[in-house]
Amino acid sequence: MLLLQILVNGVLLGGLYGLMALGMALIWGVLNVVNLAHGALIMLGGYVVYYLFTGLGIDPFLALPIAALVMFALGYLLQRFILNLIVRSPMLNTLLITFGLNVVITYLAQLLFSADFRTINPSYAGMNFNVAGITVPMVSLAAFVIALVLATLLWLLLNRAALGRAIRATAQNLTAARLYGVDPRQIYAITFGLGAALAGISGGLFGVLTHLTPYVGASLTAKSFVIAIIGGLSNPFYVILGGVVVGIAEQLASLYLGSTYADVISFGLLVVILVLRPARSLRAA
Amino acid sequence: MRANPSLAIVLVGAVLLGFVPFVASDVMMQFAINTLLLATLAQSWNIIGGFTGYVSFGNSVFYGLGIYGTAIAMTQFNLPFAIGLLFGLVLAVLCALLIGIPMLRLRGPYFAIATLGLSAAMGALISNIGIAGANSGLVLPLIRADGMFYWLALVLLLACTLTVYWLSRGRFGAGLVAIREDEDAAATMGVNSTLFKVIALVLSASFTSLAGGIYAYWISFVDPASAFDPTLNVRMVIMAVFGGPGTVLGPLVGAFVLSAIYEVLSSWISTAAALLFGIVIVLAVIFTPRGITDVITGMRKSGWRYLTQNIREHRL
Repeated sequence: MLLLQILVNGVLLGGLYGLMALGMALIWGVLNVVNLAHGALIMLGGYVVYYLFTGLGIDPFLALPIAALVMFALGYLLQRFILNLIVRSPMLNTLLITFGLNVVITYLAQLLFSADFRTINPSYAGMNFNVAGITVPMVSLAAFVIALVLATLLWLLLNRAALGRAIRATAQNLTAARLYGVDPRQIYAITFGLGAALAGISGGLFGVLTHLTPYVGASLTAKSFVIAIIGGLSNPFYVILGGVVVGIAEQLASLYLGSTYADVISFGLLVVILVLRPARSLRAA
Repeated sequence: MRANPSLAIVLVGAVLLGFVPFVASDVMMQFAINTLLLATLAQSWNIIGGFTGYVSFGNSVFYGLGIYGTAIAMTQFNLPFAIGLLFGLVLAVLCALLIGIPMLRLRGPYFAIATLGLSAAMGALISNIGIAGANSGLVLPLIRADGMFYWLALVLLLACTLTVYWLSRGRFGAGLVAIREDEDAAATMGVNSTLFKVIALVLSASFTSLAGGIYAYWISFVDPASAFDPTLNVRMVIMAVFGGPGTVLGPLVGAFVLSAIYEVLSSWISTAAALLFGIVIVLAVIFTPRGITDVITGMRKSGWRYLTQNIREHRL
């Protein structure tokens, strides 16, 4: 029964992990940029929800779409006016510039929001229900459902909408897409904006489930990266699945080895997967 | 062979730096030792990252092993400092061989991220090992000898820089550059790319671990969080890239300039220092991605247009 409970916890937590990684996988797949500021964007989204909730009294789940809009605008502007300048440089340079953005966002957040721990704590935060002896926390379940819904929406956008077709075309062949009348500058900015919006929503949920500090970004970037590798960049549902794999692995590691081993497991998993399957085609988006 | 000014600059610089302990205050010495160690890290990273083109975010693993090798030998077995350094070196070389052979098969971002994962896993692993003091760390015998640490750090930096100079002139270094530019072509031309890459990683790991050993005894306290600090990886990469990766002087210039900026800013406001540090990185990548040492030659050739050249080449 304990094992079953751990599995349920892992799956629910994994849904949120998957949602965190969705934006990173999208940006990576389309722009070929590994965004090291991704965790910082998640953190910012969390703070947007936090201030909407504590300042204006807006319910965290209703604040999520607002956070998504704010983060979309921020992501759009970042890509349009900064990252587009050098987006075709070698990967080392895009890694470095996003790392620089990560530092800037983190310390701006520290100046603006202070380094205190913040928790988004609505009245229903602790509620849960029992199914066959297994406790299911309401908020975790809601986060998992939102992750699935957003993955579905992203899949529909990419595969059924004109914008999605333009995004996929840009990812496959920039020059050819341009010849067909797609403006890649616009598409790149929109894609980065979408990635940031997804990060923002996951940050809000993260803030409800755990706590926020300006420094949570780095480990969330690393985690998102692991999941993007495991899930691949081609299909949003695989990314969620990748999140679930990492969530379960972490929960099992905490149970059997102690919680200090959780990070060893998720990063050990990363190294093993990379070394064993180096030829895996990630850019199939 | 053509006369190369960088060797002369390195040797004159080393002699000038040799005078520092005679004139510097205590606070200045702290800063100087720290800067020399950071410059060694940047220069070591330059061997694998700058010359070979394998962007390692895992060099802090070797640094941490150097730190812990020295600390464990000195505290748990009461061995002298020199043996401790050697012990750390052996650990780092073993680790470089062990992980190098499978991981160097990965290319581009996959290698970079695998090494990032390794450094995160290593820190967590060490904090679970009893002999390494687990989470609480180890306290080394306290010694007040900033002069000695300064000389050690300076000699290490000089040795590392001379190695890089040899790479920039010799056949082996040319092989590494060939791997960086096109690994398949290099292999076709008869470069044993696996062997070359592993040797480059071992060299990089050796200097990095020795810097770690010196740091451990100097600071006289080690814990997993500071020994395997992932931001340290990024700092060494940024110093090398800011100065000019794949050159002899670039990482040194980057390390000295950025350390000085950081020191001045953090005496002002610590948060603003980190913030401006981030802004420096962003601006450097946009305007001078080949490093500030390249700006001098580039500006002479094409004037102010040099600064927008990178944007013109890489914008969308």
